Amino acid sequence: MRYLSPIFIAEVICLIAAITIIWKDKYAFGKVITCYLTIALVTEEAAAYLAIRGIHNLWLFNIFIFFEIGAILYGLYHCLKEYINPKPIFIIGAGIVYPIYFSFFINHPFADLNTITITVMSVVFTLYCLYYYYLLLKDENFIEIKTHPQFWWVTGVLFYYFGSTMSNIFDGLFTVKIIGHVTLRYCIYIVLNLILYSFWLYSFICRMKQQKLQS
Amino acid sequence: MQNETTKIAILVAISTLVFLLVPMFLILYIRSYNRHKKNHVLEKQNMQQKFESEMLQTRVEVQDQTMQSIATELHDNVGQLLSLTTLTLNSVNLNDGEKARKKIDNSLALVNKSIKELRELAKLLHGEQLVENGIGHAIDQEINWLNKAGAYELKIDNRLTDLQITSPNKDLILLRLLQEIINNIIKHAQATCIQIDSHLTNNILHLRVAENGIGFNPEEIKSKKSGMGLNSIYKRIEMINGKLILNSTPGEGTSISIEVPYP
Repeated sequence: MRYLSPIFIAEVICLIAAITIIWKDKYAFGKVITCYLTIALVTEEAAAYLAIRGIHNLWLFNIFIFFEIGAILYGLYHCLKEYINPKPIFIIGAGIVYPIYFSFFINHPFADLNTITITVMSVVFTLYCLYYYYLLLKDENFIEIKTHPQFWWVTGVLFYYFGSTMSNIFDGLFTVKIIGHVTLRYCIYIVLNLILYSFWLYSFICRMKQQKLQS
Repeated sequence: MQNETTKIAILVAISTLVFLLVPMFLILYIRSYNRHKKNHVLEKQNMQQKFESEMLQTRVEVQDQTMQSIATELHDNVGQLLSLTTLTLNSVNLNDGEKARKKIDNSLALVNKSIKELRELAKLLHGEQLVENGIGHAIDQEINWLNKAGAYELKIDNRLTDLQITSPNKDLILLRLLQEIINNIIKHAQATCIQIDSHLTNNILHLRVAENGIGFNPEEIKSKKSGMGLNSIYKRIEMINGKLILNSTPGEGTSISIEVPYP
């Protein structure tokens, strides 16, 4: 039953939508996000498998963070390039997050969750999302927000990483169990993941509508 | 300790909720802003469409005016000259050599005059293209035409002929306004003297047309539906962000001053 967590179900639905809708897209964005979703799904299930067997699984999440940084940065780059040439700011972003990621393991064992990187990357992603909104508002042309895939993709990212800020900051300081073994932290992450994948799913649907209109 | 953890947990839960509400309000704000932007863009498009349609209308009116002038010229001038030529040639008696030569010479002179008139007409036919050479030349052409009629004493001070800058849309509208003003003078003013001044100062184009006709009460004309021509002039001036000052007193003539940012 622990294999079929709400996060897993949301990921599976999102992955199926990604494979059917954006994988064949002309942009590399579709392939990157589909691969990321596959990695996220495999990580989730592998972590569940290890947890059931009582094996430490945080190292797995540490590996996943490496791909997460790359995929989300690329996704935001794809959305921002609609308005500006975002290469310089993304080089700076990656230049901040990746060194923090690697330097964490100088003083900590690989089995410790890389919380500093998670916090920093959340802040960086949030800033990029807000910058995207700023450019969107500043732009002379208007977009049909209801059907704009990039907008909803960025919104999903903003909700997830901005919403998880407090959980990241107070990580380890609260282990309140709500129902059985389910902690508050886990509940928050379920809610955030559901929000993230719902927005992404809607974004893929918008992309499908766009593809239909273009064909 | 357990109590502290619970407090932190509640704090985190509430903060997370707040942190989720912030993006939600942000999206609502973006949605509303975007809607305003959409309305603004649509309004701009609408105005652009109106402007283009007005430009098209102006172009058609300029063409109409040109055609009307050509028709009048063909009928009143070239037509008469050619009829006279036909009559002269018909009356040639080849047996009377001296008289015949005289009549043929006269006919030749009439044909030459017709050719000259036709050349003038051809110039007028290119009137629309004349705007492309600048508003100064277009005004000159209008004045020449008015001068040909010989019905008015003209006082001209056109300083726009050497203008190096152009604004095709504004030029076309200004030419049409001048045509309309001259038409109104011919039709209603009963003037004997027309004064036309034009110059460009500090990126403002000034065009002033004054006449010594019967004048009218501008307020009365504005309130009546008959002032449609005047309304159209005001509308077009507004379209190119210009200003029109109309001074008229019954019995004392009318003066119209136009100021347009240029180019």
